[in-house]
Amino acid sequence: MKKQLFRILTITSISAALWSCNQSDPVPKGTYVQGVFVINEGNFSQNNGAVSFFARENNTADADVFSLVNTGQKLAGGVQGYDIAGDHGLILVDNSAPGQDKIQIVNANTFTSEATISTDIENPRDVVAVTNEKAYVACWNTLNSDYSYPVGYVAVIDLATNKVTKKISTDKGPEKMIFSKDKVFVGGYVYGGGTKLTVISTSSDAILSSITFKSAPNPIGVDANGKLWVQAGIELFRLNTETFAIETTLKIGTDASKTPGNFAMAPDLSTIYFVLSYSDANYVNHGATYKFLITDTQVNVTTPFVNRIFTGLAVDPTQGLVYAAVTPSYSQSGYAVRYRGDGSLVDSVKVGVAPTGFYFKQL
Amino acid sequence: MILLVKAFGNQLMAQKDSIHLDLVTVYGYAPERFMSGLKVQKIDSATMEQFRFRNITDLLSLNTPIIVKNYGPGQLATVAFRGTSANHTAVIWNGLNVNLPTLGQTDFSTIPVAGFDQLSVQYGSSASIVGTDAVGGSILLGSSMPQAGLQVMVGRQQESFRNSQTQATVKYGTSLSNKWIFAGKTAAYDGRMNNHYPYIERNNKKMIPSETFQKGLVQDLYFTKNKHQLSAHFWLTDNQLTNNPENFTGREFTGIKSYRTMLRYQVENWTVRTSWIRDIIDYATGDYSTLDHGVTDRIGTRIERAFEWKIGNLGNIQMQAGGEFTHYKTQIINYNKPQITENREDLFLLTRWQATSKLLVSVNLRQAFVTGYNPPFTPSLGAEYRLIQNNINALKIRGSVGRSYRVPTLNERYWKSLGNPNLRPEDGFNKEIGLEGRHVVNAIHAFTASITTYHNRINNWTYWNPANNFRVENLQLVVARGIETQIGWKGNWTAWKAGANVNYAFTKSSQEKVYDAYASDIVGKQLPHIPLHSGNVNMFVQYKQIRLTNQLQFVSKRYTLADHTQSSQGYILENFLVETTFNWHGTAASLQGRINNITNSFYQSINGNPMPGRSFAISLLLSLKTTNHPI
Repeated sequence: MKKQLFRILTITSISAALWSCNQSDPVPKGTYVQGVFVINEGNFSQNNGAVSFFARENNTADADVFSLVNTGQKLAGGVQGYDIAGDHGLILVDNSAPGQDKIQIVNANTFTSEATISTDIENPRDVVAVTNEKAYVACWNTLNSDYSYPVGYVAVIDLATNKVTKKISTDKGPEKMIFSKDKVFVGGYVYGGGTKLTVISTSSDAILSSITFKSAPNPIGVDANGKLWVQAGIELFRLNTETFAIETTLKIGTDASKTPGNFAMAPDLSTIYFVLSYSDANYVNHGATYKFLITDTQVNVTTPFVNRIFTGLAVDPTQGLVYAAVTPSYSQSGYAVRYRGDGSLVDSVKVGVAPTGFYFKQL
Repeated sequence: MILLVKAFGNQLMAQKDSIHLDLVTVYGYAPERFMSGLKVQKIDSATMEQFRFRNITDLLSLNTPIIVKNYGPGQLATVAFRGTSANHTAVIWNGLNVNLPTLGQTDFSTIPVAGFDQLSVQYGSSASIVGTDAVGGSILLGSSMPQAGLQVMVGRQQESFRNSQTQATVKYGTSLSNKWIFAGKTAAYDGRMNNHYPYIERNNKKMIPSETFQKGLVQDLYFTKNKHQLSAHFWLTDNQLTNNPENFTGREFTGIKSYRTMLRYQVENWTVRTSWIRDIIDYATGDYSTLDHGVTDRIGTRIERAFEWKIGNLGNIQMQAGGEFTHYKTQIINYNKPQITENREDLFLLTRWQATSKLLVSVNLRQAFVTGYNPPFTPSLGAEYRLIQNNINALKIRGSVGRSYRVPTLNERYWKSLGNPNLRPEDGFNKEIGLEGRHVVNAIHAFTASITTYHNRINNWTYWNPANNFRVENLQLVVARGIETQIGWKGNWTAWKAGANVNYAFTKSSQEKVYDAYASDIVGKQLPHIPLHSGNVNMFVQYKQIRLTNQLQFVSKRYTLADHTQSSQGYILENFLVETTFNWHGTAASLQGRINNITNSFYQSINGNPMPGRSFAISLLLSLKTTNHPI
């Protein structure tokens, strides 16, 4: 009941917000004002990542929107992330050659190229829009000669000047970021060697705290109760976002040889989907996709949501469909496969090479 | 093709006598003898001379339908021969396979034309004759014995982008006491590709900075007396490539050093050969203080006996029976054991039967043995029949069927976790048929033409399966088929000479086996990086000692993904050359000016980076020679 009330309130407030937006701003114009963007990592050595796009009602996609809109131009790299700040879309481009990584900034509604930022961007991994004028980009920095990870950083992007205004040092191999209210939580790459969750204040762009875990922490999202969920190894932690105290620990099964990943929090902020995978003796990947509720006392890893593994997972806030990314190989196009909340299959859409994530754009 | 080449060759030899040695009898191992029915293209010495300061990749792309898969100027270059992969071309140096056993291929960017004397390109499977890797074709490099006297050559090429090559060659031959003859060649070359482009991007795409330093040393020694022939061959290549040299944290270094040595002794019908090859690969990024260091040694012995019978009406039969033993030892840090050793043995029987003056038949058999498992028994049958043979017209039909195999590379079997020791050898079945003709119009004009069609089915094609964490598996079945045609003309007036030669290849190569749920997006489609249409056009005009040449290469659209959702556009590359030679009593100076990519055409390397635009090169070769006299 309480949840229902919350939902009604949320929807009402969102509608109100949208209504007020409509009152003040004209509806944005462009081919890409609403729909699904797919982040395609591409095959690293071929530098052929792309951002794909399709309208929710369609089942065919434009595989590479940037090249389609900006004739004669290519992103020239793998795409590691996409987020929208105001009317600016930020595409993280990772080229296989050093010094060629960049943030490609586009108009979020038309996808026309606006600017690129390459200074101080090396191995970008994730982007979050903090305000309409500011974004954070987590970067690994240039790897050491022995492929170990140096201390990484979060680049603070000023979208008025299209410059990196500050580099905030993090632990080794910074990866996923979660933005909530006035804080950004920066996690670490599982093979990066870092074990700290870095908390950055978005008002001061300074580190508030760093919390050490046994292995690389992966922030999942802030739930309906305002709690941060973090995965590290086969453990899940629920943290207080003010005190950073760990309130609850849950185990994802008991088999440490299985790797949980691709966590996606549903728009209800109560359901969390994830992929649990492992390699057999012949290095064949197996596994399945599961879901649990934030109120569960243990994570169900016996009944899968869908009995297959994916390279990316997200839930569309508009329709509630689960979008799962499939990478058959790095030499052919991947697919976005859509599922209903009960795990039944809707359809699949051919996208770019090695899809890993989704961005859902609404009016 | 051979006819054309010979015709051109002779003519040019006459013209460039002052800086060339006359053609000498092929000395040593000549696998071509048993390749009847197969298409073999011998590159003439004039072409070799024209490419003296360049890389073998340039020569092959401008004179054969071989597709060179280039990663950038001076960077890794592999070949796709008749629609096959980089692993399917055997590179044979004086009869010895010199492909890196770790990678099962040769980086053609490390082989300059200055490193060898003879070059033949053999199309289609010839595994029964040369062994593993010859699935799509083979590249035959050879040394030739210099004549008596002394010849010294020194040359340098200066190119755009601060690139240069310097080389020096000394050839010598003399009679010793007791009827022994001694001859030899010592050559050294040094290439520096700084690739300092005056632009940072082409068509909005950034040029990738790279530099390549290449050194090489060739030493051939020959001692002959009547039926005794003893020779020693040594070839060192040292290639150092750095990508992004200015970026001290992100730079990438690849060093490939190969020592190739061979000792060969032939007495009457017996031939014994021993060889030792050491390949050293070093790799590092950023900090070069600790290199990834890999060393592979191959020590081999080969013994063979030649037979010849004349059987009345049945013609003349030549046979070569022999065996080969090679011991491999490799130490690569990323292998599952610190040191891997294995032995490979080959038994072969090669036959050439000149049944009549018109009919020539070859039957070749080979069985290879490799520690742990055995490649398939590999037979082949080839035949040539002269339909017409007179002073005006010649027409020959040839055909061949043969099995081929490829022993998986050391990387494929021993790479930590990704390698698969249970991998099966790939095996292919190649069929081809062709026509070769010549028509002499009059004393001035002559034409040549050839057409070949082939079908090559390769099973157990290995694949680093991404669905399987990139572990290598025998997943694919590839069928490559195509047509190759050549038409040539030459005109020979008194002071003027001219010629044109066109090669065109249609290549259809596709994956035919379904191995996972998403293979339907791939099956039946042209393999990535292999163009459907490719070819080249070479034209020259010569007045006395001045020769103008136009070289043109065309490559159609190539798909960069197996499901054809991404591609790189086709392109035409055109080069223009001016050459002349000055002679003064045994001394000669050959001057060549060249414009590469004259139309400033935009084309991309295999990883999508732009290749350079128009560039210029000038070279000078000085040659000093004592009078030729027979030994």
